[in-house]
Amino acid sequence: MKPLLRALAAFFRADMATMLQYRGESVLWAVWGIVYPAVAMAMWQAAANDPADGSRVGAFGRGGFAAYFLLSMIVGHLTTAWSAYEMGYFVRHGTYSTWLLQPLLPIWRSAAGNVAWKLFTTVILAPLWLFVALWARPHFDLDALHVVAGVASVLLAMAIAFVWDYIVALAAFWTTRTDAIGELWFGGMLLFGGRLAPVELLPGPLYYLSYALPHQWSLGFPTEVLIGHASPERITSGLLWQALWLVGGLALFRFGWRVSIKRYSAVGA
Amino acid sequence: MAPDGITFAYHAHMPVVTTANLCKSFRVPQREPGLAAALRSVFRRKYTVTPAVVDVCFSIEPGEIVGFLGPNGAGKTTTLKMLTGLLHPTSGTASVLGHTPWKREPAYLRRISLVMGQRSQLNWDLPAMDSFLVQLAVYGVDDSQGRQTIDELAELLELKELLKKPVRNLSLGERMKCELCLSLLHRPEVLFLDEPTIGVDITMQTRIRQFIADYNRRYGATVILTSHYMADVTALCKRIIVINHGAILFDGPLAALVDRIAPFKLIAIDLERELPNGLPPHLGEVITAEARKLTLRVPKDAIAAATSRILAELPVLDLTVQDPPIEDVITSVFHVKK
Repeated sequence: MKPLLRALAAFFRADMATMLQYRGESVLWAVWGIVYPAVAMAMWQAAANDPADGSRVGAFGRGGFAAYFLLSMIVGHLTTAWSAYEMGYFVRHGTYSTWLLQPLLPIWRSAAGNVAWKLFTTVILAPLWLFVALWARPHFDLDALHVVAGVASVLLAMAIAFVWDYIVALAAFWTTRTDAIGELWFGGMLLFGGRLAPVELLPGPLYYLSYALPHQWSLGFPTEVLIGHASPERITSGLLWQALWLVGGLALFRFGWRVSIKRYSAVGA
Repeated sequence: MAPDGITFAYHAHMPVVTTANLCKSFRVPQREPGLAAALRSVFRRKYTVTPAVVDVCFSIEPGEIVGFLGPNGAGKTTTLKMLTGLLHPTSGTASVLGHTPWKREPAYLRRISLVMGQRSQLNWDLPAMDSFLVQLAVYGVDDSQGRQTIDELAELLELKELLKKPVRNLSLGERMKCELCLSLLHRPEVLFLDEPTIGVDITMQTRIRQFIADYNRRYGATVILTSHYMADVTALCKRIIVINHGAILFDGPLAALVDRIAPFKLIAIDLERELPNGLPPHLGEVITAEARKLTLRVPKDAIAAATSRILAELPVLDLTVQDPPIEDVITSVFHVKK
């Protein structure tokens, strides 16, 4: 375990150094991540403006939407993963070959890079989140259970999002254009993950379909818990679903890796 | 990994590398040019199976430096990639240091290194030293020992002043030296070099060759080298494996290949004056004739007699006996076996 931690720390330091080199680019990518929730927040707050409906959509009023999308900015940032986008590039250009020569699975390198980027950009985004919080006047309905369960749920969501994104990225061993697959995956996050609308507002069939996909468990559910919208029963079942998606993802990655690595010769190498 | 000052002692009498009937085929999509063909290929894609490596068998002893020679697409790099565990073979077996390479066991990967002249393992945006420190951590090399190795290698490769420059600001030759240093930080017992001198100038090529020879001598490491530069091969490798169309055409000492394919020497002559009636045929076969300069091809066992006759019968200003260029010998192998 100690050698692995030493390697992760080394990756982390190198990634931090690279981001400091390209700080402008890192900031732009991070700011881009708050655009979707900001637009969605404005739209849904406008929709919740009709007194005839009690100025509500479902269980959400203006303050509820502000809280939901503010949290989805933060949770979305903490759970973002991008291996599905960049894997095709690394395979085509032979970078992945150099990683495969090392006595450590390349997923660890990506994991360290993922954490480094989030820490680095969080420092930049925190003032923006604070500004949104002051401007949008969110309404939270929190107690200690929601905070503790919410934090646990975010940590699980980070792991789920990363592992499932890496599983999708393994498609790069089978096809050359994985960025399109990455886009589709991101589209799933918009609809089923709760980036465009809270999952509980999805129409019936889509709501149930969201249980069969990992997206809700990487964003929508932890956000719902952290704004205080989830009942104790929903929190318990949701955390179990998350555990299931994480264990399932790890098992699928283990299997997918073994199968995919044999295919590596097909493209790039 | 070998401790300081100790050479690798991998069962001295066992080969480090063995392959048996190693084959690799690629399934390659094919289509005619043009829009219509592109449209047809959407519905019915055609593939051909291209054999890249065919029934390759060889073994390499500890401490050997072996040159892998062949034209582009011959199967050299594919073989190297199978031996380093990057590619799974279609069939056949291979063992390197007692491991099956494509099982990719960390214990195996810690004992080898692959340097690809056309691929960088260094972080482009950071000084090389940063990549070196990551490498030490990934390979679990003790920090103080690793830093000592960096100092030693930096000294040998004369790259101390380069370590703090971002890699993107290094010249190709400087970068290659850093790549070599990076690849050797964990003291690999088997070093695979895929065109390590490609694109670098003559002086740097010589420096890199010297370094590889030093590393091999100092640590007893086994080196498998592919290169398009014959100078790399002649300077480093006593043994060569010639491969073309995926199959081995020759495996043995370089000198034996020259004897077998080109059992002759070249005699270059500068004359005082042109010969009005040309060269008497009994003196040798004329390869090139340019005013007062001649090059003759003479069987090796007839060199002494031919030289005496030429000196006696012709107005010679200067005469040298040369081996045929190694490039020509290798090219002959490809033609002979086609």
